[in-house]
Amino acid sequence: MNRDAEAALLVGISVVAALGVALVNLAQGGNVDAQVALTFIVFLAALGGVHVSVRRWAPDASPFLLPLAGVLTTIGFVEVYRIDAQLGGLQRWWLLIASGLAVGLLALLRGPGVSVFRRYRYLLLVTAVLLLLMPMLPTAGLPLRGVVAGGSRLWVAFELGPVAIHFQPGEIAKLLLVIFLASYLGERQAVLAHSTRKIGRWSMPEPRHLLPIVIAWLLSFAILVVQRDLGASLLLFATFIAMLYAATGRASYVTSGTGLFFAGALIAAASFDHVQRRVTAWLHPFDDPQGAGYQILQSLFALASGSLSGAGLGVGTPGRIPAASTDFIFSAVGEELGLAGTVAVLATYALLIAVGFGIAIRSREPFRKLLAAGLTFVLGFQAFLIIAGVTRVLPLTGITLPFMSYGGSSLVANFLLLAILLRISHEEHTV
Amino acid sequence: MPALLLTLLKLIFLAFIYLFVWQIARAVHSHLGGGDLKLRSRRTDEVVIVKSSTQAGTTIDPRTPVVLGRSPQADIVLDDPYASEFHFRMVRRPEGIVVNDLGSTNGTYVNGRRIAAPVTLSKGDTIQVGNTVMEVR
Repeated sequence: MNRDAEAALLVGISVVAALGVALVNLAQGGNVDAQVALTFIVFLAALGGVHVSVRRWAPDASPFLLPLAGVLTTIGFVEVYRIDAQLGGLQRWWLLIASGLAVGLLALLRGPGVSVFRRYRYLLLVTAVLLLLMPMLPTAGLPLRGVVAGGSRLWVAFELGPVAIHFQPGEIAKLLLVIFLASYLGERQAVLAHSTRKIGRWSMPEPRHLLPIVIAWLLSFAILVVQRDLGASLLLFATFIAMLYAATGRASYVTSGTGLFFAGALIAAASFDHVQRRVTAWLHPFDDPQGAGYQILQSLFALASGSLSGAGLGVGTPGRIPAASTDFIFSAVGEELGLAGTVAVLATYALLIAVGFGIAIRSREPFRKLLAAGLTFVLGFQAFLIIAGVTRVLPLTGITLPFMSYGGSSLVANFLLLAILLRISHEEHTV
Repeated sequence: MPALLLTLLKLIFLAFIYLFVWQIARAVHSHLGGGDLKLRSRRTDEVVIVKSSTQAGTTIDPRTPVVLGRSPQADIVLDDPYASEFHFRMVRRPEGIVVNDLGSTNGTYVNGRRIAAPVTLSKGDTIQVGNTVMEVR
């Protein structure tokens, strides 16, 4: 597949987005109106803009990434628009902003390439930690303040006169941490992989090399306790373990990491209310169907009533699912497009992740290899966590579904992630 | 809107999405999996003896280093009076099949040229030792 085929697919995807909006309008008794044309133009401009900048600044990049992300964005957007047309309109703006930033990042990286990140890695680390701490700002008084939403402190509001922006700094922090880890581990790869201590039959990493794991564990535990964000905490820790594994190829990091995770999970479930409530709601949702179990039950009912091909866009009742346009977008898609729709979503994620890891495998330079692997892992694991959450495979963790959920921070972070992956595949000629 | 029409439109919408995912999946498959496997089986270059008095048609798979020569101790014993006891060695590497002469009397010829240093071969190249000609396939 070449660039022209990619362009054709992107145009096609924009048509599908417009078709989806038309379908929603018709089903709700409306007409094919300006919304349809507007959707087509915005999708074409956003995806086409990234495409053109890839042609200019990363011509050897993989042609699969953008269409796959486009399919996810389209399905997500149509469902968001269906749930709340106004939110859909905002999502279109976010798509334009996100793709604009992706274009900007590709332009910035055109000269120095992704290795420029290595030079600023401690700056990136400090920025990431600051971003993670931002929601802990006082909730009133300053123009920049923390927001408590749903019992978690994930949001930051910036208010200055008439301008009010809410965003989740954690989404960007996630990207910066992956970049930092890729650069840090890329250099210590050999040391981490080869210094081991034998304990009986098992070879363990040297205790002092385990220190970073312990720090990451404490950090993610702190996020869990202080910000009450189960999803981000788990995502952060899993990413760290996955990148250590990718860097060293040693399963002992995975086993010791998993052990630490379970220890942490047990402690957290036993001692923190909000974690305990999540676990109870997961194991026994019917004990409290109107309270703790409400969200997960509504999600399961939605998926069940969706059946094979769903109620139809605009025909179902996704309004009954709480947070349908963000965390539960997968259930909303399941209700209106059924198993067929959700399988399409899963297949697209699977392909995107396969392409991402393909780029990592074909990359030669350790930093780029680890960066590609880490970014792909973050994307895939986040999708897994929230889909597993809404289908009751795992306790629910409130995070967004990449590319699909409504939300500016999430869309921006994921498009930036995409831009970096595109750039890596260009630099490593992985096609 | 009649329900039937809406159902039809819904199915068309789903069909479109699947069409896209299918298109990309096919391209990814031929790039990552399928194409790669073919590439690998192509890279599993074998060396076939195309001209020899008795050994024509023999295929050699240099997965591990293979020494060819007239000696019975060679990995592949060449039935050729012009071949040395241990004439040349070849091994498959990611970049192709690497051939080096082991100080033979009559030399090893790659594509008609006598080699002095290890040479990397790709598909279609020929190796000649005495009257024996091999081709990379």
